[in-house]
Parts: sequence; C-alpha cells; structure tokens
Amino acid sequence: MPPGAVLSLTRLPMFRLALLYSALFAFSTLVLFAFIYWQTAVVEIQRVDGQLLHDAQFLGNLKPSDLKDTIDNRVMPDFRRVAHAGLFGPDGARIAGNLPSLPDNLKFNGTVHRVNVPAAHLTIRAVGLPLPDGTRLVIGRNVESLDNLQTVVIHALELGLVPAVLLALGAGGLASQRTRKQLQKVHETAERIMKGDLRERLPTHGGGDDLDRLASSVNHMLDEIARLMDDMKSVGDNIAHDLRTPLTRVRARLERARESASTQEEWQVTVDRAIAGLDQALRLITALLRISEIEGGRRRAAFEMVALHQIASEIAELYEPIAEEKEVAFSLSLAEAPLIAGDRDLLSELISNLVDNALKFTPAGGRVRLSLETGPGGLILAVTDTGPGIPPELHEAVFQRFFRSDASRSIEGYGLGLSLVDAIAKLHGFTLEIGDNNPGCVFILRCCE
Amino acid sequence: MTTSDLHAPVRLLVIEDDQETADEIVSEFSEAGYEVRHAADGPQGLALAGGGNFDIIVMDRMLPGLDGLAILGALRQAQISTPVILMSALGDVDERVRGLKAGGDDYLTKPFVMAELGARIEALLRRPALSRETVLRVGALEMDLIERTVRRGAREIELLPREFKLLDYLMRRPGQVLTRAMLLENVWNYRFIAETNLVDVHVGKLRKKIDAPGEAPMIQSVRGSGFMLIANG
Repeated sequence: MPPGAVLSLTRLPMFRLALLYSALFAFSTLVLFAFIYWQTAVVEIQRVDGQLLHDAQFLGNLKPSDLKDTIDNRVMPDFRRVAHAGLFGPDGARIAGNLPSLPDNLKFNGTVHRVNVPAAHLTIRAVGLPLPDGTRLVIGRNVESLDNLQTVVIHALELGLVPAVLLALGAGGLASQRTRKQLQKVHETAERIMKGDLRERLPTHGGGDDLDRLASSVNHMLDEIARLMDDMKSVGDNIAHDLRTPLTRVRARLERARESASTQEEWQVTVDRAIAGLDQALRLITALLRISEIEGGRRRAAFEMVALHQIASEIAELYEPIAEEKEVAFSLSLAEAPLIAGDRDLLSELISNLVDNALKFTPAGGRVRLSLETGPGGLILAVTDTGPGIPPELHEAVFQRFFRSDASRSIEGYGLGLSLVDAIAKLHGFTLEIGDNNPGCVFILRCCE
Repeated sequence: MTTSDLHAPVRLLVIEDDQETADEIVSEFSEAGYEVRHAADGPQGLALAGGGNFDIIVMDRMLPGLDGLAILGALRQAQISTPVILMSALGDVDERVRGLKAGGDDYLTKPFVMAELGARIEALLRRPALSRETVLRVGALEMDLIERTVRRGAREIELLPREFKLLDYLMRRPGQVLTRAMLLENVWNYRFIAETNLVDVHVGKLRKKIDAPGEAPMIQSVRGSGFMLIANG
C-alpha cells in the first residue's frame, strides 16, 4: 500500500461485519414478516371462502320468490359494505342485491375466486351460482382488510427494518471510521518507524480495546528493538574501537619498518609484532563469534551427561601453576557431584574464564578458591577471590560485552570473558550471581539438577 | 619444517576451494619438501584421494560439489585410512565433533598459522603406536609409567601429577613440534585458546625440573610454534 493511502471503508473488517449482520437481519425479518402475512392471508381467505360457499348453498336452495327478499335483507343492513350479493337475470340485468353489474371473469362453477366489479370499483372474492330458473346468483365478500394487512405489514417493515438496518450500518460505519482513523495513525507511525525513526510509538488511548492492546504490545516490541539496536550500536562501536587499536599499531609498525628497517633481523621483529597484533584482532573476532554462536543456542543439541567436579578439577590443574607464579593461594574444594546435561567444552571454558578472571584481579598474597557443592536446589559452583571486588551497581554491567571497569582497564583482556560465561550459563539454564567476599568478590553458578 | 621420512617425500593432498589458502598451503609444504597435490573441489578431491596414494590429506569442511564430510565418509567406506585433517571457518565450533565422528583425525579452525597445520600434520604422520612399554626413554630421560618415577641419568626428578602428564605426552613425541593448542587439547582436554600464557607457565615449570643448571636443555621452545622435547644428553 502506498504511504498514507486512505483505507477504503468497505475494506475494514468491522464495517464489512456490520454490513453482513445488517443483511442477515434484514433477510430474516423479511422472511418472518412474509410468513406472518402469508399465514394470516391464507387463513382469512379460507374462512371467507367457506362462509361464501355456505351462504351460496343456503341461498341457492331458497324458493326464487324468497330469494330476492332474503338478498335485500341480508346485504342492505350491512353498513360496512363487506358482504355483496346480486341476483341477475339471464341477460345479466340486476334483479336484486348491491352489485351493480355482473363481475368480470366470474365463472359460475360453484368455486370461490377473486373477481373485479368495475362498476363499483371493487375487488371481491365471489362465488357464482346458476339457478334453475335461468337467473344467476352472485355472493361475494370484500377482502380489502387483507389488502390492508399487506399494507400494514409492509408499513411495519418500513418502520422497523429500514431504521434498524440503517442504524446498524451507521454504527458499523462510525466504529469502522474510528478504527480506520486509528489504523491510519498506526500505519503512518509504522511508516515513520520503517524510515528509521525508532523513537516513534503507536498511539494508545488507554481504552483497553483490542487495537489498544495490540498497539501497546507493538510499542513494547519497539522498546525492546530500540534497546537491542542501542546494544548493537555500542557493541559495534566497541568492536570497531578494539579492532582499530591493534590494527593501527600493526599498520604503524609496518610503515616504520618500510622506511627504516635495514637488516633481516629488524624486519623479522617487525613482522612478528605485526602478526601478534593481527592475532589479537583475530582472537577478538573469534571470541565474539563464539558468543553469538553460543547465544544462538545451536550447541544445545550436543549436550551430554558430564561430571562438573571433574571438569572443575581439570581446570584447577590447568591454572595452579599460574596461581603459583602470581603467588596467589589457590584452593580447591570439590564435592563429587551427580552428572548434569551440558556441553563439556563450554563448561570447561566457563569455569576457566571465572578462574582466569579471579587470578587476574587478585594481587600477590591473595586467595582464590574454587568450590563445588551439592545444595538442595542443585549444584553450586563458586569462585571466590580477594581482589578489588565489584561494586553492587556494576553487578549487571560486567556481563555486557566489552565492559571493562575503570579498575580493570590496566589488565589485559577484551572484556568478553564474562559475557562468554554469561552466554554459556544461559545456554545451560544456569543462573550466575555476583556476591561480595569482603574483600573481593564471589561468582556463584547455580546449576539445576 | 622436517619431513618424517628422509628417503621418500611425504605425499600431501590439499582439498581446498579457496585459491589463496590453497596456494599458501601448497607453497609452504612444497618448500618443506612435501610432494603436494591440490584439488579445488569435492569430486576432484575424492577422485584423487580415492587412489590412496597419499600419506596425509588436508581438507576444507565446506567444498563445492561434494562436502568435506561426504568425502571423508566415502574414503572411510572404501577402507582408505589416510589420516585427514579437516579445516573449517570460524563459528561452527561444534562441527568439530561431527568432523571427528565422521572419521577425521584432527580438526583445525580457520584462520590458523601454518606452523599449527605443520605441527599437526607431523603429529599425525608420526602418530605414536600404542605401545605396551612401561618405560619411556628419550635420551637420558627415563619415565617409569608403573612406578610413576622420572630420572634423567642418575638424577631422580620429583614431578607433580600434572607435570607427569605433560612430560608423558612430550616423551611419546620426541623431536616433534607441539603447539600450545595441541598441548591444551591433548594434555588438558581444553579446546579453546586461552588468553593467558597458560601453556608456557606449565612448560616452564616442567623445564626447570628436567633441565637442571649445567645440563643440556631437552625441552626447547620453537619460535612461533610451540615446544619440542629433544634427546639432548
């Protein structure tokens, strides 16, 4: 849809629904009224016809001399002019009754049917009876009341149905118009967001209707996207910065060597350093790729049953000489733990990162302790150090990529170790907390059984 | 770089579709005296490897035409047991397990330094036979695997268990360059590049005990690659 296109009314689901309901309502009302009318008319006509036949039989059996009087006595007092009767001579001339002339198309066969009496401007139901003396008897009855009924029914339909349908369509139209306006706003906002303005939010009125709820869900989603974009941006900035540093150094060295290096040895030193700088950049990229790979969660497929105490003891063995070099007392307390589902390589990387970190930040004479115990909620692995510690307000931040506290800036590293730890812990469904060791800090990994 | 056999050159097959990487590998190992053939895609690689005339195969995991794991499967199916090193790009770390399961002998993640590949090729060519020896000997160095004692000549050497494990690995591969990554992987079961100088510290501690002052150094550092145990003294 082109930007800002006006949504046509009939394309709105709400209006279409209103239209459909109105049509259904109108149809069912019509059917109902038609049924009522038809039932009433049929019953009434049957009643009238029965009466007419009965009367015709009675009159036909009278003596001709009585007939004329009876007709006159019968029809003349009828002020409502409902009953009609007439006795006509063989030539069609009127002898008695209130019918001025023979009705058109009246068949003298003893059945009741509908006929016109043009001379009296009448339409009646009548029965014609030929009499033995050659005269003809016609008895009829005005059924205008049935026509009236039809009028009444149509009138009622007009009065009831038309306004109801109009009202439904109007309400549907109004609601749709409101929805249309809201959707139009949403649409316009979405257009602006798509053009890159991520601060835009969809309008909500707090009414709590479906559209409002949808809008606030979308807004939440936008908040999250904006946050992720910010994260990405700062990670991107940090990657760029962290890659630029070693690469700039490599470039400068190579340039200097081209101008001033004269001996083979000088060249070799330069090249070695350049390679070391490139390795540093590559390691950074590797670490980032690994984090996103782990966060992608694909490795969960490779989980097997592993013994955490065994992994921890291997890592401890790996780091013992480092602790000795640094004159940090490294102690170990590993309870034999039940097997857990996990990725052996990643878990060993997790523990090694925690131990590596603790050793890095603990000054000579300090202590680092790696412990594993089985608690009621599962296994608890803890790495405790007596380093500078982490202030509580930074406990969340240290897991972010590239985070380096001011205190740690002088120490070698990329600020990726703890994000890696965090990603691995999350992959396994473990929780990671930072506590205070006074002095120093403790990283506690809780693994569910 | 040395070849394992002085009499006949090592026959190396490189299956790699990236021309630059292939050129690097081919020229590096040709210079080192290997007889190198190159295949640029899967089908060609399989055809060459299927002849069985190679001592070692270095193969990319992702290849046009026929994928590395498929070639490996076909070779092993045909009872061709030439050692294979799989190479693959960054980011598919768990591919390693699949590669080894499919019959690969080693796995290298790109980018790598040539020395790493060289050391791994040498290691595979000289893969130590499973020996029933209970005593390992390299020069004057002697390791009793039952008694768990180590002597250099007459001198008894006290080793910590972790040092014993490292020396055991070194003594089974004398005169062979062992990279830091190989040591981490095979001695400590650790598959990731550690940021710190972990391996150097371990080797340094062991060296202090093996090479006493005045003795000829047996544990040597190989510039840019790793370490090597030589039969010195």
